[in-house]
Amino acid sequence: MEACEAVEREISKVITKFSGIKEDSSNSINELISILSLYLASLRNLEYNSKTPEQQIEELKNVIKKCKSKVQTISTEHRNSHASVSKVGKAIDRHFTQDYNNESITPYDLFESDKHIEILNQIIAEHFYRQGLNEVADSLVTESKLPPEEDIHLELFADLYQMWEAITHKNLTPALEWVTQYSSELEARHSSLEFKLRRLAYLQLLQQGVNSQAEAIAYTRAHFNKFINRFEKEIQMLMGCLIYLPSGYGDTPYDSLFSEDLWLETADSFIKESCEIVGVNKDSCLEIIVNSGCYALPALMNLKQILLKNRVSGVWVENRELPIEIDLGSEFGFRYHSVFTCPILKVPTNENNPPMRLKCGHVISKDAMHKLVRGLLLKCPYCPKESGVSEAKKIHF
Amino acid sequence: MEIKSIEHPTLKVPYEVLNKKFRTTQKTLDKEISLLQTAATELEKGLDNSPSVGNITKLLDGVIERLNVLKRKAEESIENELKYANVCKKRLEHIKQNVTNTASLHKSPNMRMEEDDEHSNESQIAIAAANQWKKIRLNRLIVEHFLRLGYYDTAEILANRSGIRDITNIDIFQVSREVEKDLAQHNTTKCILWCIDNKSKLRKINSDIEFKLRQQEFIELIRKGERLNAVKHAQKFFPAFEQDQLHEIKKAMALLAFPIDTELEPYRSMFDIKRWEELLVNFRLENYRLFQIPTQSVLSVAVQTGISALKTPQCYSANSRNINCPVCQPQISEIAEKLPFSHCAQSRLICRVTKKPLNENNHPMVLPNGFVVGELAISLITDQDGNVVCPFTNEKWSNPKIEKVYVM
Repeated sequence: MEACEAVEREISKVITKFSGIKEDSSNSINELISILSLYLASLRNLEYNSKTPEQQIEELKNVIKKCKSKVQTISTEHRNSHASVSKVGKAIDRHFTQDYNNESITPYDLFESDKHIEILNQIIAEHFYRQGLNEVADSLVTESKLPPEEDIHLELFADLYQMWEAITHKNLTPALEWVTQYSSELEARHSSLEFKLRRLAYLQLLQQGVNSQAEAIAYTRAHFNKFINRFEKEIQMLMGCLIYLPSGYGDTPYDSLFSEDLWLETADSFIKESCEIVGVNKDSCLEIIVNSGCYALPALMNLKQILLKNRVSGVWVENRELPIEIDLGSEFGFRYHSVFTCPILKVPTNENNPPMRLKCGHVISKDAMHKLVRGLLLKCPYCPKESGVSEAKKIHF
Repeated sequence: MEIKSIEHPTLKVPYEVLNKKFRTTQKTLDKEISLLQTAATELEKGLDNSPSVGNITKLLDGVIERLNVLKRKAEESIENELKYANVCKKRLEHIKQNVTNTASLHKSPNMRMEEDDEHSNESQIAIAAANQWKKIRLNRLIVEHFLRLGYYDTAEILANRSGIRDITNIDIFQVSREVEKDLAQHNTTKCILWCIDNKSKLRKINSDIEFKLRQQEFIELIRKGERLNAVKHAQKFFPAFEQDQLHEIKKAMALLAFPIDTELEPYRSMFDIKRWEELLVNFRLENYRLFQIPTQSVLSVAVQTGISALKTPQCYSANSRNINCPVCQPQISEIAEKLPFSHCAQSRLICRVTKKPLNENNHPMVLPNGFVVGELAISLITDQDGNVVCPFTNEKWSNPKIEKVYVM
């Protein structure tokens, strides 16, 4: 926030300054033109070959002198505004990092190889096909010379995505049709999706003003009945809106109902629920990856700077682990694999070094177990129990 | 702070344009003002020496004419500066939206939906707004990525389709698109114009692109059999570069002595038509340097770090693949092959059946065959007769011993 504000402050200064210069210069040039035009007009009334009267010569000399110095000021003023312009650049450099510029986090760029670029383009094309943005994807396929592909799952998602997009453009019809078609599935899930959509439809009617009042009330009578048990409070609130219909909603408790974000949220619920019902993956791989990457970058960049200062390298080593944990789980709420990290050796287990459950129920890695064993017996590092090596059992998370 | 780490080019590019517009405006102003000053001085001289009405009228008319021109030019060019200052501002406003959204995630809600126990309605709204912002960001990053690879048409379609044209660099890169088209047709004209237009900046970053263009022109003349013209070309353009490029100049001059199908290096590759492609890429890179855009696209950095943050050894083991995991997708796992794995200091376990985390609320339990599932999954894998079926191996046990697992 601070970063944006700092740059914004400088930009605003530049805009004010330029607007000022523009106005000042127009004004002073206009003034000069009108004064000089007066003289020109009066000269035109005189005999062409006669001598210009002394008084006019003197006056003109003064005006011209003034004119010269005035236009010079315009140039000077504009030149002086350079300080403000370059401050914007400095503010950007100071508040935003351009770190991956020279020394990247990733010491080699995978996407310098044509093969990897091609794969990435394929992933991007798939991402757009999924959204039904066929024109974008087709164009990419042509421009990057990719082999075309077809996938039924992409189309399934594309239909839903189109409905999602329609909601964000305030068109509820396709989504409401879908909801009606899948009403039994939605009911089984105790979904609030239909209510959310109906609510928006009602609010949309209200926004058309007093004339639609009757229509809005008729809508609630037709559609809100079945929700009364689950959403009594919300419906009370929605009906309360009618009080302020003639006077508008600014400063009333109902104002928040008319926020754009309510539409976005409903659209999001729609895509989430409909994907689960139809059985397609809601998120595009590309989206997950890029969002994870953007989330991981600041931490990795900080770390890199610290390591560079201490002349240690190796934020990024092929096939090793990243030096720090990027907790995507709590940020995005997703996790795809169980990772068991051995509490003794602090390394993740794998097929060669699997997790072993000791007789007491505690789990350590096989390597750790072999380090701790004395003869044939093994004392659990977490409780007083001893167990035999043969009693430990390999488990799969 | 994500925006701090990745939005630098978003702001810096329009700033560089603004800075350039400032310089052109200053130049225009100074030129027009000096013309005006000359006209004014003429008028002053006229007033002193031959103050006939006719003469003065003519001279005065000239001054007014110049004033009008100055007025028009000043307005136009300052308007142009303002335009790019506003581009900067607009992008800042877009970036700021993300910060506001994230901030409102932590505000306390006042409108609750009864059945939403996990999140309040308001924080759901904030999450939706933040997601929308991220979608736009992804499209922005993809547009920049396309521009970088020269997929101008696709970049254009995507930017227009998603309404983000103003916050991408498409318009700014329109010039470079023209130049690239020209270079692709083995023409140097537009690129030379670009060099002249950015002369001082190019000198500052020590660019040799102009020399490379002149050298290529020289080579083309030889290719066409116009060796004499080539010499004239060399006389005209090469001396300006003799300080830095003497070695290259010598090599180029030596070409005069060889037939164009020579097998001798380095002359053979100097005649190679592929040099045009290199020139094009070279131009593209110099253009980035000019705008201080990093050579690696943000998208490519984000994809690589993102894959690493998601990559686990399990993505490569047949019995723990997950169809929802991006890295488990065959294409992506190919890219991921050499990237580092994520680091996991503490065990993070999820139940394979319910996909819910394994913790004190969903205790991990081990089936007789060693597979671990959450407590909550047990009822799901038990059939009507009370037999437990392993969801992975289909083994069946009646009344099996299912024991707790303790994970530290």
